[in-house]
Amino acid sequence: MPGTKYYDLRHVTGQVTHIDIDNGVVESAGTSFFNKAVLRVLNRTGWGVIQIDNYTPCTGRKFEDLIESAQKLAGITEEIVELGNVPHGILPVPPMKEDPRSVSIEEKSALLAGIEEAARHPLVTNRRANYIERIEQVHFTDSSANEYSYEMCRSGFNVLAVASRNGNVQMGYEREHTIHGFDLRHRQEYGKKAADIAVALLDASAVKGGKMRAVLDPELAGVFAHEAVGHASEGDLIHEGSSVLKGRTGEKIGNEILTIVDDPSLSEFGFDPVDAEGTAVKRTEIISRGVISAFLHNRESLAAVGNGIAGHARAMPGEPPLVRMSNTFIENGDATEAEIFAECKNGIFLKGSRGGQVDPGRGIFQFNAEYGYLVENGECTKMIRDVSLSGEILSTLHRITLCGNDRKMSPGYCGKGGQSVPVSDGAPHVLLLDAVVGGSGLD
Amino acid sequence: MRWWVAVDWIEDLIREGEKSVDEVEVFYVEGTSVSADLKQKKVNLATTSRDCGLGIRTIQTGRIGSSSTNDPDKWRDCLAAAIASGKLSTPLPWGGLPEPVSLPSSPLSFDPALECDPGIARDLVQQMLEGAAGHPADITSGSASLSVSSVTLANSHGIRYESHHSGVSLSLEAIYRQSTGYEFDHSSYLGDVDPRNVGEKAAFFACKSADGKDIPTGDYPVVLSPLAYAELLGNVFVPALNGRSVHSGRSRFATSLGESIADPRIQMYDDPLLPRAGGSTRWDAEGTPTRRIDFIRDGVLQSFAYDLRTAYRYDKKSTGSAVRGGFGGLPAIGHHNFIIDGKREQILDERVMYVHNVVGAHTANPMSGEFSVEISNAFWMEDGSFEEPVRSAMMSGNVFDMHKDIAGMSKESRAVGSLILPSIKINKQRLIGK
Repeated sequence: MPGTKYYDLRHVTGQVTHIDIDNGVVESAGTSFFNKAVLRVLNRTGWGVIQIDNYTPCTGRKFEDLIESAQKLAGITEEIVELGNVPHGILPVPPMKEDPRSVSIEEKSALLAGIEEAARHPLVTNRRANYIERIEQVHFTDSSANEYSYEMCRSGFNVLAVASRNGNVQMGYEREHTIHGFDLRHRQEYGKKAADIAVALLDASAVKGGKMRAVLDPELAGVFAHEAVGHASEGDLIHEGSSVLKGRTGEKIGNEILTIVDDPSLSEFGFDPVDAEGTAVKRTEIISRGVISAFLHNRESLAAVGNGIAGHARAMPGEPPLVRMSNTFIENGDATEAEIFAECKNGIFLKGSRGGQVDPGRGIFQFNAEYGYLVENGECTKMIRDVSLSGEILSTLHRITLCGNDRKMSPGYCGKGGQSVPVSDGAPHVLLLDAVVGGSGLD
Repeated sequence: MRWWVAVDWIEDLIREGEKSVDEVEVFYVEGTSVSADLKQKKVNLATTSRDCGLGIRTIQTGRIGSSSTNDPDKWRDCLAAAIASGKLSTPLPWGGLPEPVSLPSSPLSFDPALECDPGIARDLVQQMLEGAAGHPADITSGSASLSVSSVTLANSHGIRYESHHSGVSLSLEAIYRQSTGYEFDHSSYLGDVDPRNVGEKAAFFACKSADGKDIPTGDYPVVLSPLAYAELLGNVFVPALNGRSVHSGRSRFATSLGESIADPRIQMYDDPLLPRAGGSTRWDAEGTPTRRIDFIRDGVLQSFAYDLRTAYRYDKKSTGSAVRGGFGGLPAIGHHNFIIDGKREQILDERVMYVHNVVGAHTANPMSGEFSVEISNAFWMEDGSFEEPVRSAMMSGNVFDMHKDIAGMSKESRAVGSLILPSIKINKQRLIGK
């Protein structure tokens, strides 16, 4: 095609099965289907993108017509776009222990009901459990004759318990999501844990806001890595000029013990066998021993910014790819959990998270802990209710002074540009000095 | 749009479904959109989309089944999946899908002059850039998009409704040194958005917030902009008015009906028939005619929102509050145009801390209402003018309790998504300094 530098087409078909059980009632259960494609054409000056619902693969004149429409659309763009040279290739999708498709929805529903039932407690006013199973068949082709096909199945469940006493309403929320196959068997303890936390939180107190020492559990420290470092290292944000990490490659922004990685090749919930532009995926060390080492890139931001690794383009079905994190984590250090608590001495221990948010241009992030405990003389004492922390990207990392040796990954979803993609975050237990805690407690 | 084309297979679908189940409901959406995205000051990406979604519900002796697809040619598979899904669900009290009623056919939120033309999207982006040009901030990203869609609802009782919607949406992000600014606008009508103002405000907030100072921890008189207020309200307060959450024990308001839960000057209601508002519709996602719902009148909790299934289950009436998320989504309880109103007054005449935006409101606890968020584009404001910017601080409190302490509402309101709301003043709001 004259004027076309490049095109690619990503076609995703699949099905979503869900079960929603609310206080013992199966509210809804069933399967829905989707078929979405996105065609991107790169003109000399920018991208023309066509999103197509219900796409039928086509060739010849029909396909050329599509390319032409996308080219025409690209006529309103005005920025010269170059694409970086990248390695191509696809990893095998890890095998599933048990394919969810081999389990009847009746059995899934009964197993989920068992988890929901396990959240029963006299003070629990609501129990809700959801199962979600998403199977995607992905087919990718581009104008350089790269072609990949793979199938991914992600499945998992959430269980919520709401406890209530005299107008005080608290919640416990547990979840497990995986790429390794059907995972609803023998999971009742998740329901019980959700209920136990909700009930315990009825007697927890609000923390008084201010600066203090904080021990973060692996889940929360993972969210910290995601918000404090991950987003700000995304190549598209660097390119736009909306990240405080721009131009800081080689700069030391944290302690020697701190290494932060994004690795889409890892067999965790954010796994991608190949990225959404057909680029081979690869472990990327964003921070190496405290020093900014590599940004996360797609082909466009690699060419525009450099100093990093491509293979981080990700997309929801039918949406244009963006630079995204996948499996983001703080590497293990050598401290034991006991050493971390001893060093904290007096402060707070924070667990779990409902996520966080960052303004990467301003370099300020916020993230939330579901609950925690006061730490007094190195021991956990009184339970505290949900609190949030905020921090500044360029100074906070120096305040991580101890990393444990017990890294654990937690699955979740991350939103950007209106798209939500599966990710995992993780870390060992870490000690954060001078954590800025936002609490409404008064004592 | 193409009703007589669509009608054939929808009629076939309903007839086919009625062979197996008591009732069938078909919801079909078709739409197109176009957008132009900026990378710094240049359009880097132009996108069009053609979307369609088919959602089917079947009801058999109180068992509701559902499925969806974006391939309407496969409606037979989708119908079979919906019927199979119904067999799994727990039977609940059910009084039938709505009967058709005669409703005005004139659209409430459709601009016939709005065209999904890439050239218009590019021009809107250009006007935002022009608006920003008066400030020294750098533009980082931005977007203008235009969309039109048609929605068809049909059921076994003869409902055959169709409506048209349009939308225009703008956003721009700017940075000045290490200070960011963001502004947006959206409407159903092309002529109702002000792209120059979006550009001007984004660049203004970036520049004006630069070189902020720290503040000590304490209780401050705070004004929350409509945007900051919407973040807290939408994540915590609005979901607590959902009838399903209320009756299943997931709402703090479960036992508060008839009680005073907010300052007596506060009114909150859903007005689905507001002309030109983005969420306006004459019938909800299940075909129930919509009407105004007064949730809070003079600070007293009056009503919750219901769809059909929750209403039948708890012996209430549907408030016409069923909405669907995205293309082909299932109906769930929501709202159309959620409006916060009350006594309007001058709230910026004394020295106050003005908070334009917050970071992390989605992490607020939806059950207890507790939040602690980082504030963005915050200033000391005197006599309505932006003075000293605040570098960084957290704001903590409880969204429910906050409504008892609202000290005033600004004269102007603006639409933030489906919420239409003023700025609010709180006399004693905890801010945690750095």
